[in-house]
Amino acid sequence: MSGPLLRIEGLAAGYGGAMAVDRLTLSVAAGEAVALLGANGAGKSTLLKAVLGLIPVRYGRLWLDGEEITGLAPERRVRRGLGYVPEGRRVFPGMSVRDNLEVASPLGRVDRACDLERIFALFPALADKAAERAWRLSGGQQQMLAVGRALMGRPRLLLLDEPSLGLSPKLAGEVFAAVRAIAAEGTTVLVAEQSAARALAATGRAVLMRLGTIVHDGPVDALPEHALREAFLGG
Amino acid sequence: MITLQLLVNGIALGAAYALVALGFVLVLNATSAVNFAQGDLVMAGGLLAVALAPVIPLPGIALLPVVLVLMAALGLVLALAAYLPLRGRPPVSVFISTIAVGIILQNGASVLFGPEPRAAPPLLSGGTIQLGGLVVAEQSLAIVVVAALLIAGQQWLFGRTQLGRRLRATAQDPEMARACGVPVTAMILVTFALGTAYAGAAGLLLANRYFVTPTAGGDLILKAYIAVTIGGWGSVPGAVVGALLIALFEVGVSSVLSYPVALGLLYATLLAILVARPQGLFGEAARRRA
Amino acid sequence: MGALLAYALLYASPYGLRVLTVAGVYALAAIGFQIVFGLGGALSLAHGAFFGLGAYATGILGSQWGWSFVATFPVSLLVPLLLALVVGLPVLRLESHYFALATLGIAQVVLLLAVNSPGLTGGANGLPGVPGIVLFGWAVPRGLPLASVVWAFVALGGALAWRLASGRWGRALTLVRDDPLAAGTLGLDVGGLRLAAFALSAVYAGAAGALAVHTQRVVSPEVLEFPVMVSVLTIAVVGGRGRVAGAILGAVLLIHLPEWFRFLERSYLIVYGAALLVTMVLMPHGLTGLLDRLFPQRPRPLPRVAAPSVVARPSGPVLRVEGLGKAFGGVRAVDGVSLTLEAGSITGLIGPNGSGKTTVINLISGLERLDQGRILLSGRNLTGQRPDRIARAGVARTFQAVSLPEGATVLEAVATARLERDRTVAEAEAHALWALECLGAADLAARPCADLPAALRRRVELARALARQPAVLLLDEPAAGLTDAEKADLAGHLRAIAALGTALLVVEHDMGFLLPLAGHVLCLDQGRTLYDGPPDGVRNDPAVVAAYLGEGAP
Repeated sequence: MSGPLLRIEGLAAGYGGAMAVDRLTLSVAAGEAVALLGANGAGKSTLLKAVLGLIPVRYGRLWLDGEEITGLAPERRVRRGLGYVPEGRRVFPGMSVRDNLEVASPLGRVDRACDLERIFALFPALADKAAERAWRLSGGQQQMLAVGRALMGRPRLLLLDEPSLGLSPKLAGEVFAAVRAIAAEGTTVLVAEQSAARALAATGRAVLMRLGTIVHDGPVDALPEHALREAFLGG
Repeated sequence: MITLQLLVNGIALGAAYALVALGFVLVLNATSAVNFAQGDLVMAGGLLAVALAPVIPLPGIALLPVVLVLMAALGLVLALAAYLPLRGRPPVSVFISTIAVGIILQNGASVLFGPEPRAAPPLLSGGTIQLGGLVVAEQSLAIVVVAALLIAGQQWLFGRTQLGRRLRATAQDPEMARACGVPVTAMILVTFALGTAYAGAAGLLLANRYFVTPTAGGDLILKAYIAVTIGGWGSVPGAVVGALLIALFEVGVSSVLSYPVALGLLYATLLAILVARPQGLFGEAARRRA
Repeated sequence: MGALLAYALLYASPYGLRVLTVAGVYALAAIGFQIVFGLGGALSLAHGAFFGLGAYATGILGSQWGWSFVATFPVSLLVPLLLALVVGLPVLRLESHYFALATLGIAQVVLLLAVNSPGLTGGANGLPGVPGIVLFGWAVPRGLPLASVVWAFVALGGALAWRLASGRWGRALTLVRDDPLAAGTLGLDVGGLRLAAFALSAVYAGAAGALAVHTQRVVSPEVLEFPVMVSVLTIAVVGGRGRVAGAILGAVLLIHLPEWFRFLERSYLIVYGAALLVTMVLMPHGLTGLLDRLFPQRPRPLPRVAAPSVVARPSGPVLRVEGLGKAFGGVRAVDGVSLTLEAGSITGLIGPNGSGKTTVINLISGLERLDQGRILLSGRNLTGQRPDRIARAGVARTFQAVSLPEGATVLEAVATARLERDRTVAEAEAHALWALECLGAADLAARPCADLPAALRRRVELARALARQPAVLLLDEPAAGLTDAEKADLAGHLRAIAALGTALLVVEHDMGFLLPLAGHVLCLDQGRTLYDGPPDGVRNDPAVVAAYLGEGAP
C-alpha cells in the first residue's frame, strides 16, 4: 500500500475566533501507533475532532487512504474507516452495553454478532455486564465500552482522546494494554494524552503539540527529555 | 359498578392519551424540541379519519394504516419546514415555529371542516359487549387493544432493531451518534414521522367516542406535557403511565364534579408541579461551558 | 404615525376607522409583549389571558355595575398586574419552554373560569352593553374620536416602552435574555428584572383589553381565546422582536391584511401561521430588522470618558477561601481547597484537565453551590450567596468561552457591567469607555462585538470585568487562543489591574505566560491542592510533574 493512511495538510480549526489548531501538517502511515502529546490547550482534542469532522475546518485538507474527506459529514467518514473514542467516554447512557456496541456496527445481524463476540473476548468485563445500562458502569468499564464501540465499526484508523482521563492508574494501565493489543492487530492508532508516560509506553511515535502546532515528531525512544517538559511546563 | 365502568372508560381514554404523549416524548428525546403542534396533529389525524370514512367504507380499523402513513408524511413535512432549518438557533425558535404549524393546522381544519364536532367511524362496530355484569363499549376495548399494540410495536422497534438503536443513540447524544456512523439527520426525520403517525392514530381512536373539533389541540398538548412531566421528562414508559393517570383523573373528577372542573384541576396540578420544582424537572439548570 | 394620521383624517370610512382602532388595540398589546418577549426573552403565552382579564374587568364593572371609564381602566390594569406578580414568581424561574407551557396552562385556566362562571362573566355568551369611553363628561363617539383616543394610548404606551427599552432597564433586560449567567456575575438581579418585565407586559395587555371592550361594546370569552395570543405573537415576531416600532408596524399590517384581501377572511389565521413560520425561518429579525439593514442607522457619537469614583483598596488579604468542597454525583470535583488572595497580587491556579480549577472559580463567583467551605470577602461572609450579590460585593470574573452580546457594540457590551450601579446609560457608557481606555481598547468602542477576533473579544470581556472596579477578579484561561505578542500585552494589562489594588486569580495552562506573571501559584489535581507556593518551585515539584506527565515520566 502506498501513501499514508491519514494525511493532514495545513489544517486550521477552532471555536469562535481562536485557532486551536494552527496550520498543522501531519501524516500517519498504516499500522503506526502514534501518541499525540501536549498540555491542555495544545490543540490535541481539536485536532482529533477536526479529523472526524465534528468541528468545522477553517483551512486545510484531509485525506484518508488517498481519498479526500475534507467537508465530509462525520458519519460518512466513520463509514470510510475512522473510529473515535471521545474525551469523557460518552457512552450512550440509557442503552445497554450490548446496544451501545451494536449500534456502532454497519453490518448485518450475523456479522454483527461475530464482531460482538470479538469485543467481548477483548474486554471480558463487558461480557459480564452485557445487559446493564451504560450509565451504571464504572469509569473504567465505560472506557472499555467506548473503545469497543469504536472497534465495532471495524476502523482502519482509531482516534482516542485522553482515554486515561479520570481513571485510576490501574484502570488506565488496562486501557492502554488494550490500545497496545489493538495496535498490534494492525489497526492504526492515534491517541491524544496528557499522561505522557502511558501513551509513550503503548506507541512507537511521539508527536508533541504546543499551542496548536507540532513542536516535535519522532520515534518514542529518540524523544529528548527536555522536549517533553518544555511542551508541558514551558520555559 | 359505576366505578368499574369509569375505570374502563378511563383506561380507554388513557390509552389514547398515551399515544399522544408517546409521539410528543419521542420527538422531544430525539431533538430536544418541544413540539407544540402535537395536539393539533392529533386533531388532524382525527379529521383525516373523518374525511377518509366516506371514501373507504370500511370499519375504522381499516383506516388506521392509511392514517398512519399519511400522518407520517405530514411529519416529514413538519420536520423539513419547521425543525431542520432552525437547528442552529436558540430552542425558543423551534418552539415558535411549531406553534406556527399548529396554528396552520388548526385554522386549516376550521376552514375545511367547520367548527362543529365531527365523529369518525368506530374501529369495529359501535356496539357493546357484556363482560361479567359490565356493559363495555366495543370501541373502548378496541382503543385499548390498538393502542397497546402500537405502544408494544414502538417498544419492539426501539428495543430490538438496529433502526431503534440508532434512534435511541440519536436521542441520547447526536454528536456521538454521528461519530458511530449513525445518519443523524435521517434518524430525526424518522422520529418526526413516528411522532406524527402516533398522533394521527390517537386522533383516529379518539374521534369516534369523543368527537373532534378543530380547536381540540390546545388541551391535548397541555395534557401531553403534563403526562411527560409526571412520568419523568424524557422517559417513554413514564409518559405512558402519566397519560393513564391523567385520563383516570379526568374521568373520575368529571363524573363527580364536571369536565371543566377536572380540566381546571389538571392545569392547577401542572402549575403546582412546576412550582414545587422550580429548577425545572431535569434537575440542574443548563450550564454554560464556563 | 404621521401617515396613519393622514390616512385617518382624509381617506378612511367609518369601517376603515374601526379597523384602525382595532389595529391600535393590538399594537398596544404587542408593545407589552415586546417587553416580556422581545426584550426579556420569555415566551409568555399568558399574554392573551392578561388581555382578556383587562377586557373582562372593564366589561363586568362597566356593564353590570355601571362604572365609568375613569374607574374601570385602572382596574383593568391592576387585575392582570396582580395575577402576573402572583404567578410570575414561581413560573419565571423555569426554562423557556417550561415557562411557555406553564403560561399556556394559566391561560387555559382563566378561559375555563370565564366560560364556566355565567353568574360573573355571562358564561359563553358574555356580557353585552359595555358602555363606551366617557372622558371627563365627553362620551367619545365611534369613528375618528375613538380611534384617536386608542392611538393616543398607543403613542403614550409606545413612548414609555421606548424610553424604558433604551434606558438602563432595557439594556439590563436584554443581557438577562441573552446571557443570564453573565448578567448575574455583573450584579444584575435576574429574577427581579424578569418579574418586572412580566408584570409590565401584563399591564399593557390589560390596557389593550379594556380598550378592545370599549370598541366592541361587548365582552365574551373570545377575548381569552388563542387567536388573540396568536395575533399578538405574530405581530411581535413579524414586526421585529423587541422593537416598539415593530409592534406598531406589525399590528397595522397584520390587522389590515384580512381587510385588504377579502378572500382571506375566514383563513386569515392560517396566513398568520404561515407568516410566523416564514418569518422565523427566513427573516428572524422581522420587518424592522429588514428595514434596519436597508437603512442602517448612523452610529451614535461616543460619550466623553469619565473615570468612576476611585474605590479605596486597603492592602492585605481580600479574599479568604477555606475548605472548599463540591461533588458532582459522587465525583469530588473540588476537595478541601483553601486559598487567600492579597490586594494587588496575582495568584495562578494550574492543574491538569479535570483538576477542578473552573469549578473553584464557579464556586467563588456563586455559579455553583458549594457543599463545604467558606468564602469571606474582606471579612464579609459570602458563602451560599447568589451570583449577583457576590458580584455586587466586589467579585468579578471572566469565562473560558467568551460570550458577548452579538447585536451590541463593544461600548454597549462593556457598559452592561455598570448598569446596576450607575444612574443613566450615558454614565454607564462613559465609565465603560474608561475601562476600555485602561486596556488600550478605546478605539474598539463603536465596533459590533460580532466582528471581533478572539484576542479582542477577550480584551473586551476583561474591560467589562474591570469596569466593575472589583476587589477580586477571577480569570478563567484568559490567554487561550492568543499569540505570543497578544499574551505579552495581556500580561501587561493584568499587572496594571493588580496595581490598582485588585486581587487577581488566574487559571491558566500556559506556564510560560503564567509563571512570570504570578506572585503565588496553586496547583490542583483531582480536586485537591498539590502545590501552594512561589512560582519558581512549580516546574521542579515532583508532585506537579507527576500530575502533568503521568507516573514514571522521564
